[in-house]
Amino acid sequence: MKKILALVLALAMALSLGSCALAEDVSLRVWVGDNQDIDWINTVIENFKAAYPENNYNIEVGVQNEGDCSKVVLTDPTAAADVFTFADDQFNSLMNGGALQPVVENAEEIIANNTPESIAAATGSDGMLYAYPATADNGYFMFYNKEYFTEEDVQTLDGMLAKAAEAGKYVGFPMSNGWYFYSWFKGAGLEMHVNEDGVTNSCNWNATDTPITGVQVLEALLEIAANPGFKEADSDPFVAGVKDGSIIAGVSGTWNANVAAEAWGDNYAATKLPTYTVAGQQVQMASFSGFKLVGVNPYSANLGAAMDFATFMTNEQSQVLRFEMRRQGPSNVKALEADSVKAEPAIAAIIAQAPYADVQRVGQKFWDTAAALGKIVVNGNPDGTDLQTLLDNCVAGITAPAEQ
Amino acid sequence: MKTAKVFRQIGRHLVLLFLACLWLVPILWLVVTSFGVDKGPNLSTFFPAAYTLDHYKAILFPGSDTVSQFPRWFLNTFTIAVFTCIISSMFVLMVAYAMSCMRFKARKPLMNIAIIMNLFPGFLSMIAVYFIMKNLNLTNSMTGMVIVYSAGAGLGYLIAKGFFDTISKSLREAAYLEGANEFTVFWKIIIPLSKPIIVYTVINSFLAPWMDFIFASIMLNSGVSAQKTVALGLFAMVDKVNRNNYFAQFCAGGVIVSIPISVLFIIMQKFYVEGITGGSVKG
Amino acid sequence: MERSKAIKQAAVPAKRPGLVRFFASIGQYIAGVCRDFMEGDLWVKLSALLWGSSCAARGQYVKGALLTVLEAVLAYFIPVVFWPYMSKLNTLGTVQQQRVYNPDTRQNEFNDYDNSFLIMLFGVIGCVLLLIAVVLWLRNIRAARAVEVRAKEGKHVNSFREDLTDCFGVKFHRTLLTLPVLGVACFTIIPLIVMILIAFTNYDRNHLVPAKLFTWVGMGNFELLFNMTADSTFAYAFGRVLAWTMIWAVLATFTCYFGGILLAMFINNKKTRGKKFWRTCFMVAIAVPQFVSLLLVRNFFADAGIVNTLCKNAGLTDWLYSIGAIPTANYIPFLTHPAWARPMIILINIWVGVPYQMLIATGILMNIPNELLESARIDGANAWQSFKSITMPYILFITGPSLVNSIVGNINNFNVIYLLSKDVYTTSDQLMANANANEVDLLVTWLYRLTQDQSNYKMASVIGILVFIVCAILTLLAFNRMIKGDKEENFQ
Repeated sequence: MKKILALVLALAMALSLGSCALAEDVSLRVWVGDNQDIDWINTVIENFKAAYPENNYNIEVGVQNEGDCSKVVLTDPTAAADVFTFADDQFNSLMNGGALQPVVENAEEIIANNTPESIAAATGSDGMLYAYPATADNGYFMFYNKEYFTEEDVQTLDGMLAKAAEAGKYVGFPMSNGWYFYSWFKGAGLEMHVNEDGVTNSCNWNATDTPITGVQVLEALLEIAANPGFKEADSDPFVAGVKDGSIIAGVSGTWNANVAAEAWGDNYAATKLPTYTVAGQQVQMASFSGFKLVGVNPYSANLGAAMDFATFMTNEQSQVLRFEMRRQGPSNVKALEADSVKAEPAIAAIIAQAPYADVQRVGQKFWDTAAALGKIVVNGNPDGTDLQTLLDNCVAGITAPAEQ
Repeated sequence: MKTAKVFRQIGRHLVLLFLACLWLVPILWLVVTSFGVDKGPNLSTFFPAAYTLDHYKAILFPGSDTVSQFPRWFLNTFTIAVFTCIISSMFVLMVAYAMSCMRFKARKPLMNIAIIMNLFPGFLSMIAVYFIMKNLNLTNSMTGMVIVYSAGAGLGYLIAKGFFDTISKSLREAAYLEGANEFTVFWKIIIPLSKPIIVYTVINSFLAPWMDFIFASIMLNSGVSAQKTVALGLFAMVDKVNRNNYFAQFCAGGVIVSIPISVLFIIMQKFYVEGITGGSVKG
Repeated sequence: MERSKAIKQAAVPAKRPGLVRFFASIGQYIAGVCRDFMEGDLWVKLSALLWGSSCAARGQYVKGALLTVLEAVLAYFIPVVFWPYMSKLNTLGTVQQQRVYNPDTRQNEFNDYDNSFLIMLFGVIGCVLLLIAVVLWLRNIRAARAVEVRAKEGKHVNSFREDLTDCFGVKFHRTLLTLPVLGVACFTIIPLIVMILIAFTNYDRNHLVPAKLFTWVGMGNFELLFNMTADSTFAYAFGRVLAWTMIWAVLATFTCYFGGILLAMFINNKKTRGKKFWRTCFMVAIAVPQFVSLLLVRNFFADAGIVNTLCKNAGLTDWLYSIGAIPTANYIPFLTHPAWARPMIILINIWVGVPYQMLIATGILMNIPNELLESARIDGANAWQSFKSITMPYILFITGPSLVNSIVGNINNFNVIYLLSKDVYTTSDQLMANANANEVDLLVTWLYRLTQDQSNYKMASVIGILVFIVCAILTLLAFNRMIKGDKEENFQ
């Protein structure tokens, strides 16, 4: 009996080996996040085909905005691409929705090759690696125009606002956007993060017993927002302001680096976020670090090939290529070593901000609620609502139970 | 007296001119932006600094840019629109005839059901529709889109019914006396008399696939550019990521799509108006 | 003869409440079927088992065969394909997905898991099919008996050819309606039933299929919407959104309606030269697809958009700031501040909607009998008087009923608000933000964003049902007021 079993096993082995030798047709569908990634991904695909000549790969490329990826994937994970790129703020949603295949074959390799922060962003609450880090430049930092600011000036926000107001120009910051708004509170030592369940949040922004209270932060923000040198500027107004010269410094990310570099020329510079004044002290603004991650669809019909491609798409070679073609900062440790990478001001700024940056671990309930508080700050709290009430409302929304 | 009249005459036309300008300024901006040198939205001046045909070239001859496949989208949408238009127009006219000219037991209940269906927001059911289509293996396909756009067309029969109601009953009765059956009456008498409402129905159902992006975005979820419709493709060009590089191409695409529709409207204007006014008598 | 009888029956006033009448008639029908079954001959009895048998006995072989094939199809699909789903409708599935990676095949291996959504979908389809099968079964017995009686009385029994002819004659409505009704049933009614049922489940982002299961929660979601607890803000948001939806629907409808009529009258006035030219000017605005023109306008009026640049250069922004009309001196928040965005959206809707209404009004104005206006003029009525007493009543008479439809249409008018506020509008109302709503949301845009952005299908479904209720109440009220009875017969 055992003999027969062994024979069958051997036969099966031989068959599977035999089929390996034959060129198989493998179809994959890959989503990148941006129209402008197309040239890069096509090159990667060519390289991939060259590196895995044993199969006939038929790889289709689609574009799916990295910021909306989870919405589309979660509507029907079985119909999503085999390999997709997403921004790390959606990691939780995707993982909870069961739409990410854990890295089962080469987790050690991936962990060894990428920065610890990027690995942290791709690791689930169960300690498993669920995604392949692709870039480490998706966070935010300060762009500035050297014509107006010295390196000394950009250390404090107060200094920058004063200079800008003097010049009749603005420092831009996307206040009514939860992703950026986090920066102020975290900088002052107040916490907000997702709970163990991966859905609900903890938040103490309304704390009254911390060294710096929530109300004090809000007071400081209202003051900043009322400063004549301050301008509320999300991506579009930032681009517009940089182009027409009214914005001479602002918080944004690498996706707007080209715009700033073109407009400011040799005066283009970037650095970590400044400190700001709250309750009489200077505190360093924190931030969310941002990573682009590559996920593999667990329902993929060619899961093995999809994992091979995801690994290849995020390896050193592809990340270097990505930097060369798209100026996007690598998460690969070796790729980060290159001098050309370090010389890029935006990437240097990200590295400088890294000590004050947190990996995003945020439940969905945070975004709209934080944005609303930011909006109230921008409008200068026109209703005159008690600040503690504002914070209490905000925390109630952020920490709302999952059923809602 | 006479000068006052002249002034009023001039004033009347000035008001019209002003209103026409209000209506046309955004359209004008669409056209000039599509010809402008800026890739993104032009934010500093109304008219671009210089003019170019680049965006039209980029959108009509996409070359290596596999993302904007405008000619392909146009073809897809056109194909979908033609078939949708044939099927939905047939459905609408069929239902309208049955409801207007025939009397049968289920007529009132069916009309009531139609009224009730029309009260629900249309896309409430889109997820369910999506899974039905997926199990029929019809997502990401043009056939599927045609079905989605035309299957429920029968519900929009009211205006056509209103129009048929206005056609004199004696015409039909004369035909019955001569031994014609219902089919003959429908095909030989009612349809030839209904040119305006047919034009109206055809135009409306032809336009639907050009305008819709909700069902398109959920049904065409492969992300592959060559499968998109015009609405879906253009919509992606103005999202946060792409706006600064594709806004002018979006405008160019908008202009290209508008041209055939404008021509259609201007030629068919008379019938269109007759159709809707004839049909809305009874609402 | 048949026809007038049907009308008479319909005209008999209802004495008992509708539901009671409905069930009573069903009871009567079933009793009738039983009687037919008992009184019928062997073939009739057999046709309860084999649908076509009675037909075959009376010589209607083709019809009998078709009926039996239909029976076979239903008898196969309902128990074999749909029953596995229907049987789980009570729990919506109990086996959660488990997947194990198999390193040899490099594939995931899944257990035989339940997909709550598919159970719901196919369960509902199965139930509908079952209902149809039962109705067909009952009708078939009645029909079999009726044919038997005809045959016994020596009357003519239709051949298949005659049946076919009927399909283009007295039963032409069946031929006409089959496909459209089938389309509506499959792609409108069944999905709608499924989505209505979702309102009674916990299908949200924590229970997304296929990885997880969802189940019935009764009226829990409705309680969440109407019960204003400390951290449930849905009730607050719902009240606000509903109020704005109603304001919007009324304003949007009436501004476009009267704007269109006035514009049409202005252009059609005898004294206006170049009528066709003016009309074409406004028509161009319709010809640009709505999503293009709306997305364009959104960029046109953006905070950093061209209009703001022009206003800033003209000093308008500073002036508005100095009188306190805008919160910052940097830009006019056309689409980003509730006090500005709401009027702007209505104005933009006028821009989109008036040309269309103008087109309709033009058609109607051309149809006004000229003698009426002439005689009014001879009687010495001025322009305003003839407008007030002739033109306006005429237009109202013709388009009045469709006003109700347009209000319902505007309650569900998704495009304008969604396209103008997407990615742009951020609310500053914290309680609304906590429910993912904002001040310019209509119920339908809120619903859409709840499904798309929050995967909150259960609340979206609850809101969908409430939209229906609102629309239904409006329609009932309006129809009772405006249209007393069915005028259609006397109109013809």
